[in-house]
Amino acid sequence: MSSGSNGARRVASLLRPSRLDSGVCRSCQETIGRRNYASAAAATQSTTAAPDTTFPVVKPVYTINAGVVLSRPPQITRDLEPFEKAYHFYQKRLNERLALPFTKYFYFKRGTPADVDWKKKIAERRTPARDIGNYNAYASDAWNDELLMGSRESDPEYQVEKLVDDAESTANATSQDTSKKEEIPRPFSRVTEADKKGDFKSLNRLLPQTLYLLVQSKEGYWKFPSSPVVDEETIREAAERTLAESAGVNMNTWMVGYHPAGHHVYKNRKPHIDQATGAETHGEKTFFMKTRMMTGQADLSSNVQNLKDFKWLSKDEIAKHVLPQYYSYVKNMLADR
Amino acid sequence: MSMHISLRRAAATLPNSTTTILPSGRVSASQTNATTFVCSQCRHATLLRRPKRPYTFTQLITLSDGSAFLHRTTSPAPIYRSTRDTRNSLLWNPSSSKLMNVEDDEAGRLAAFRARFGRSFDANTPVADTSSSSKDPATKKAEEAAAKAQAQAEQEEEDNLLDLISAFGQEEPQPTGKIFDKKKK
Repeated sequence: MSSGSNGARRVASLLRPSRLDSGVCRSCQETIGRRNYASAAAATQSTTAAPDTTFPVVKPVYTINAGVVLSRPPQITRDLEPFEKAYHFYQKRLNERLALPFTKYFYFKRGTPADVDWKKKIAERRTPARDIGNYNAYASDAWNDELLMGSRESDPEYQVEKLVDDAESTANATSQDTSKKEEIPRPFSRVTEADKKGDFKSLNRLLPQTLYLLVQSKEGYWKFPSSPVVDEETIREAAERTLAESAGVNMNTWMVGYHPAGHHVYKNRKPHIDQATGAETHGEKTFFMKTRMMTGQADLSSNVQNLKDFKWLSKDEIAKHVLPQYYSYVKNMLADR
Repeated sequence: MSMHISLRRAAATLPNSTTTILPSGRVSASQTNATTFVCSQCRHATLLRRPKRPYTFTQLITLSDGSAFLHRTTSPAPIYRSTRDTRNSLLWNPSSSKLMNVEDDEAGRLAAFRARFGRSFDANTPVADTSSSSKDPATKKAEEAAAKAQAQAEQEEEDNLLDLISAFGQEEPQPTGKIFDKKKK
């Protein structure tokens, strides 16, 4: 992320009138610019009229926009890769061989229902651990610790299921009341209903990933909320105003910094000329401010920026919604996860 | 442990160097005689004790708001459900009104108590206001009237009790000025 002084320098170079060729890289441009100043200083000694021509009055040829990248942080940990699952499972069975054996008498008093239940279960699964499958580190086949193709033992969902099953059977076996069956609530699913229904407006979708707020203009283009900076306004103030005007105030948000995290340049094919003033604009430059949201929900019902729809999208979904040129500008300021 | 190993190694390399320097057979004989030498050669394997690691289980921890995670522990319980943790503690959730210490004052007894004995600062706390703000003003008025009536009834009852206490041991209970009479005697 280029939010440090590097980003500030880039913004400054963008805000400066582009006297130089855009095909030249930034550091080269700076050195060329410095040389220009030196040669200009040398030139002032010979001709007195030089400063007026080298520093003309800058006309704003681009519209400056403030954009808001409003993100909802990931709510749960990421899903493990198959290799990570296999690695963790291998470590568990290896630990079974290396650690001291389980001292049952320390935890279970002899003759208690819990002790009886424990003995019964140990006979079934051959090991104190519940989540490593049918494996005994002290048996003659202890060498055979590799999983077969398609087995689910290394899956975290399987392990959680086994733990809950074990707790349930223990509760049923040791309870006085045998008439009713004990139910232990399962942990919540990692896939929510919004994921199943494909509800892009819900904030409960894609829990392991960062979601970003994208709005759709009346013309049908998807973009981050953005609007022109009005006079005497900082980019941050403009971004806050943009957020309030587009997505409503019913959100608890926190703007991360005073520097933009990224930018987008849009050039018109032909410069637009304003009839009233005669000023011509060559396009627009949008500077995106990073913002986190804690609670609330976007609401476009009272927006004043000609927006018709909004969606909460992850990075790879943004690539499918926005134009490729737009995505090439914004992709590096979005988190992969 | 590593210190020991390095010392032994140094001792093991020492005799080799001496034999290469001094070729005669008498030297080797003197070496075998020198049993008092501390760093004599020893080639037996030293026992490296395996660190004692207790057996660990995988446990499912469920916090009070329903979020769950797996961790390794020595406890053999498969599931641990916590009742008090950071998810339902007011310290970590300062904006949660659900966790605020709101007293439910259904019968208005606490309000009546405050009306009589309370200081001015807790006579009308915002907490009490928020609890009764959901109701419409008519029920509120009725509640207040009920609380006042109850307070009055309690006071009467208290007076009766005082009467009973003071009248204990006297032949004929006198309705007025009994305390002064008792003091005069």
